[in-house]
Amino acid sequence: MRALRFAVGLLIALTLHSLLDRFYPNALAFFNPYIILVTYYAMGGNIVGAIFAGIAAGFVQDAFSNVMFGLHAFSLTVCAYIVAYINARLVLRGTLAFGACLGGAVIVNELVIYLLVNILVRQKIEMFEQGLLVKTIFTLLFGMLVYQLLTLFLREEPIDATRRAAW
Amino acid sequence: MAVPTDVIPRRPTLLFIIVLAVLFFLMSVSSQTRYVGETRTMFERTVMTIFSPVPKLVSRVGGVAQDMYHGYLDMRRAVNENLELRRKVASLTTENLKLRQSEGDLRRLRSLLAYSEQFNLQTSMAQTIMLDTAGRFKSIIIDSGSADGVEVNDVIANANGLVGRVVLTTRDLAKVQLLTDNNCSIGSLIERTRRQGVVRGSGTSALQMFDIPSLSDVQAGDVVLTAGIDGIYPKGIPIGTVVRADPGQSLFKTITVRPSVDFGTIEEVIVIHTHKISENVMRYTP
Repeated sequence: MRALRFAVGLLIALTLHSLLDRFYPNALAFFNPYIILVTYYAMGGNIVGAIFAGIAAGFVQDAFSNVMFGLHAFSLTVCAYIVAYINARLVLRGTLAFGACLGGAVIVNELVIYLLVNILVRQKIEMFEQGLLVKTIFTLLFGMLVYQLLTLFLREEPIDATRRAAW
Repeated sequence: MAVPTDVIPRRPTLLFIIVLAVLFFLMSVSSQTRYVGETRTMFERTVMTIFSPVPKLVSRVGGVAQDMYHGYLDMRRAVNENLELRRKVASLTTENLKLRQSEGDLRRLRSLLAYSEQFNLQTSMAQTIMLDTAGRFKSIIIDSGSADGVEVNDVIANANGLVGRVVLTTRDLAKVQLLTDNNCSIGSLIERTRRQGVVRGSGTSALQMFDIPSLSDVQAGDVVLTAGIDGIYPKGIPIGTVVRADPGQSLFKTITVRPSVDFGTIEEVIVIHTHKISENVMRYTP
């Protein structure tokens, strides 16, 4: 059931990605729907599941982006692992907690991408700091909004929908 | 709040490290092949193929939505443009009618002016304000009267030919007896043969020409002009065209003349101020 929910979320993220690509081609420079999904899933505290969720979401993002294949998979897996690791030890609940995790995940994600691009392609990302700031703000706002909506529509705490003892 | 240690899952750090290593290797391969032609690995292509229906569907639905939106905008624009064009068409139609009217007036006035210039006599222009060609007595009323110098027996013509003569004047108006009136007689001649006769109105739309001997050469199509012998009408104004010339039962032919003027369409006319023969002279005319 959790895997199915994740698959549906991944399809929604890809739909959002395609829509933004079609109508606002540069919007993905300021907003990342995949990391919202991965953070939400990783907050369940299931580390193995979070790793696979990061890989899957990253591969889909890579497949439809013009980057090295595996770049986003790598960065999202790192983010998923960290978030899941923290949530395996701390029970974080509520929109603010989700926002904090998401904000941290976005920053880690961008830093990892920055490092990998520097190492593998030896290119510097132009206006990295500004891009990071804008992307963090927009992704955070959208992610918290989505989380709040999930809180309204799901009868349980949204994070509990992803939480279980083991995958 | 800390999670109890008995529910903390086993840390799959090894799995995480292996995954990262594999992904790093994948990226290295991808970064090596990206700029040498083979830009997509088989695995990447597989992922794309699996998920490709989503972007295709989004593209199709987005395209339809965009088309609908643009269609709606285009329709709104077209409706507004249509209204604007309708207004413009109405305005231009009105303007066009006015221009056509003006053009027609101009053409008529030009031809009248050109026609009036051939007379050595003094002329003036007048406008028809009433027209009575249906009754037995055919007449028109023009908007010039004695104040404009119009006198009884002044000749009225237009660009096509003779219309009639003034029979009554007031200060501002004048009444004109038409050629077709039953009591109208005009000294006339056949242009081709110069044979003289008298044209009289018959009370219908046609005229009759009298006093042309049976042996005279008159043919249908001959043009009839004023002869200038009656003391009223100057010489050379077209009266009409012979449409029929029968031998007749007496010494004279029976000739039917179609007036050169269409009396139903008279608008502007020329008033030819003719030299009047003094009453003393008229008294001794036969």
